[in-house]
Amino acid sequence: MSVTYSDTFKEHLANPRNAGTLEGADAEAEQTNPVCGDRLRLALRVRGGRVESARFLAYGCPPTIACGSALAGMLEGMTLEEAARLTRSDITEAAGGLPPRKQHAAALAYETLQEALQQAEARP
Amino acid sequence: MRRVYLDHSATTPVDPRVVEAMLPFLTGKFGNPSSVHFYGQEARAAVDRARRQVAELFGARPNEVVFTSGGTESNNLAVRGHCETTADYGRHIVTSSIEHSSVRGICEALERRDWEVTRLPVYEDGLVRVEDVRAALRPDTVLVSVMLANNEIGTVQPIAEIGALVRERREAGQKHLRLHTDAVQAASGMRLDVDELGCDLLSVSAHKLYAPKGVGALYVRRGLRLAPQNVGGHQERERRGGTESVPLIVAFGEAARLTRLELEERAERIRSLRDRFESGVESRVADIVYNGDRARRLPGLSNISFRFIEGEGLLINLDMQGVAVSTGSACSSGSLEPSPVIRALGRDDELARGSIRFSLGKDTTEEEIDYVLEVLPRAVENLRRLSPLYQKAVGSRQMAVGSALRVKDVES
Repeated sequence: MSVTYSDTFKEHLANPRNAGTLEGADAEAEQTNPVCGDRLRLALRVRGGRVESARFLAYGCPPTIACGSALAGMLEGMTLEEAARLTRSDITEAAGGLPPRKQHAAALAYETLQEALQQAEARP
Repeated sequence: MRRVYLDHSATTPVDPRVVEAMLPFLTGKFGNPSSVHFYGQEARAAVDRARRQVAELFGARPNEVVFTSGGTESNNLAVRGHCETTADYGRHIVTSSIEHSSVRGICEALERRDWEVTRLPVYEDGLVRVEDVRAALRPDTVLVSVMLANNEIGTVQPIAEIGALVRERREAGQKHLRLHTDAVQAASGMRLDVDELGCDLLSVSAHKLYAPKGVGALYVRRGLRLAPQNVGGHQERERRGGTESVPLIVAFGEAARLTRLELEERAERIRSLRDRFESGVESRVADIVYNGDRARRLPGLSNISFRFIEGEGLLINLDMQGVAVSTGSACSSGSLEPSPVIRALGRDDELARGSIRFSLGKDTTEEEIDYVLEVLPRAVENLRRLSPLYQKAVGSRQMAVGSALRVKDVES
């Protein structure tokens, strides 16, 4: 199957934003797509109800990497409430769009975000 | 941007000499080879010449060559065409688990029509064992179809030994048993001889030999009857109806002639570049696994799994730097399962997903290889830095080194 990726998408892939891990993270979520085995890890540091830093690691096809990069990039500076309002299509859009067959990557990013937010909110 | 094409197993650029040979048949020499007048005879002569050139590529007689639209059609005509004529004598096929998708697809289609298919395993080396073929043969087996060289890992199967076995069985009375080999990938990298191989049917495709897409051939051993899959025309001695594509056939003929002339020289040069590439990768990138036997494989192909990363990410990273390769990752193929060929070697999903095929061609240069050796390690490193699998592996290695040091401290 051939797919065409946008320039924004390729830019995420060539120069991923916010890649890595976080010392003293308030949330560290990891989700795996059970079908294809893609993995996404998201770490957040939260100060005063706001995401101070976000880092991601990704194993999987390019859309998973691009969604991880797009998500971690836009989370920084958001309040937890704003982060909770993010949708799959917000992530897809920030990644520069995804071909129809690759929508699962945004779903994986969304699920990972939900797990991270739950952890962050559970902290005192 | 600099561009380096290392995907010659997918297709090759058309040789300018081939273009030159075919051009007159796109313009003034446009006749239909079936026409009796001058134009038709001119076209007929060109098709006949091309048929001789293609026959010489694999040591056959011209009338044993059927022109087709390419490798997939050749495989269809060979397998279906033979099975449809022999169904009354047996409905069992022996094939391998790493065939090209066309042979795989045809076998699956026949299974739905009550044929039985035995798929032979390959081992870690990517090779079929002749003993396995022997054990799989049954009195009702009418066809063995095993590819000569694999399209993903380049391993060269023991077709001559399988051919001898099939002949032995046929001489012992199993007279409908035949051997087909898909030589689409092999033709650019090794000399073919249908008598040495002992095959009855052999598929080739022009666009892997520096000719255009849309034309191929099937070798059909004299005396073997096939059920035509394209009916309604008398062309190709009733074996494939449809007006011949004269320009493409002429191009194929010229490409076959050039391949035959230049094969050894091309193969030698390509092999030494491939070896330079592999030793360069080994010295620059850790945690790699070669796929397929490194001795029994085509000279221009190198298939490497890069641990902890996924192939399509690497492919796109390389593409952004002008390097074209292909991958066995599921993402690229559009399926959820990674390459069945790499999986058949016993590799886990992660290695199958991280496999990249580098296929060199006759015009690949040393400078191009050196450029790839410059950008590839960086691309791998960048993706590994993102990979949670890599972070885990590095973490546990550091811990292992740490505890080894502590043990050493205690000992001293």
